[in-house]
Amino acid sequence: MTYTSFLVSEFLLIWRRKQDVINVLLFFIIAVTLFPIGVSSSPEFLASAAGGIIWCAAVLAILMAVEGMFKEDFRDGSLEQWVVSGLSLPALILLKVVAQWLAFLLPLLGIMPLLSEMLFLPESSFWVLIMTFLLGTPSLFLIGVIGAALTVSLRQGAMLVMLLILPFYLPVIIFSTLAIQAAEANLPYSGQLALLSAMSLLSLVISPFMTAIAIKASAS
Amino acid sequence: MQSSVSLTISGLWIERGERDLCKDFSFSAQSGEVVRILGENGAGKSSLLKVIVGVISPLEGKIVYSGEDVTLDRNPLQQDAIYIGHSVGVKNLLTVAENIRCYCPDVSPETLDTVLKQLDLLDHIDALVRTLSAGQLRRVALARLWLTEKTLWLLDEPFASLDVGAIALLEERIQLHVSSGGLVVLTTHQDLRSLSCRDVALLS
Repeated sequence: MTYTSFLVSEFLLIWRRKQDVINVLLFFIIAVTLFPIGVSSSPEFLASAAGGIIWCAAVLAILMAVEGMFKEDFRDGSLEQWVVSGLSLPALILLKVVAQWLAFLLPLLGIMPLLSEMLFLPESSFWVLIMTFLLGTPSLFLIGVIGAALTVSLRQGAMLVMLLILPFYLPVIIFSTLAIQAAEANLPYSGQLALLSAMSLLSLVISPFMTAIAIKASAS
Repeated sequence: MQSSVSLTISGLWIERGERDLCKDFSFSAQSGEVVRILGENGAGKSSLLKVIVGVISPLEGKIVYSGEDVTLDRNPLQQDAIYIGHSVGVKNLLTVAENIRCYCPDVSPETLDTVLKQLDLLDHIDALVRTLSAGQLRRVALARLWLTEKTLWLLDEPFASLDVGAIALLEERIQLHVSSGGLVVLTTHQDLRSLSCRDVALLS
């Protein structure tokens, strides 16, 4: 096994399981759509809440996406093969996360203009929303996989992952929505974006190693 | 393949849950040998292979591979070993060729075809693995044994689900491997027909 062959296999698997990605996207769209219907369809309210609505829906969708990320690998013995491959386990985990992140993020960004229009998000804030997604979602995936690896051998691990991981998602939600609100108010938002980048970088450094420890424990 | 390798295990103590699987277990093997680990169900044969390859850690003991102490860091051993366990690490949603290429990316199409023909999988080369039988799935995993240059093979029940022809083929492949300097440690309850091996008993 090489890192390249591993990554190719991961992309092939994502393509063959594209229904999983579509399901997560549909969930995201439905969750966002419910707000104008269930809370208020007033353009003023929606414009001010759009960032928060989109981010909360995205966090739930990402939790859905990462929760079962290693389940199939655990069942078919791939996790054991990763451990004994002689390759760096954190690097393999990172490659898997990158593949999953791209598979989720690209279609998500594709539907973002439609959802922003629906929620009357000001055009000036739209690109800030996109930037918060680009800078914030890596940390959500990287933190999420730690929970996914810890609960991989449990049959009903979804709720446990949510309880374990959701508190760590809160800073990302807070700084993302603050950046969008600051952009709407024509205030500087680079500080919030810098914090989102810092959180993603910190997760990038820590998460693959913590996930590797959890996977080794699960594989044994 | 290396000219000569050796594996020495001494004073191994494996615990699973609250149960001691083996205590103070020792054996050594070297190139040209097939070592069959014998023991009752639950005696710890699979766990022993997992300990050797580094999936699980022993409570005590020392593992030396080709003169190097790999007890704390199995990487030197892993670089030179293939481990095929009960769950074989084959992806249901990849084709036979894609699965093999994940583990053996440098294999040429001609070599792949030849090996798959031997294993009676050539007709299924582009079939998703989920459409194959259990025996065929195991053959997909075992195809790696024909395609890699690793010296140490750790095989957990490699003959399970295989038909008579495939068992004979695998025994022949193992024999060829050890005669060219390889070392094989396997567990099986199967009577080996043509393969001469050294038995090591794992007593509970």
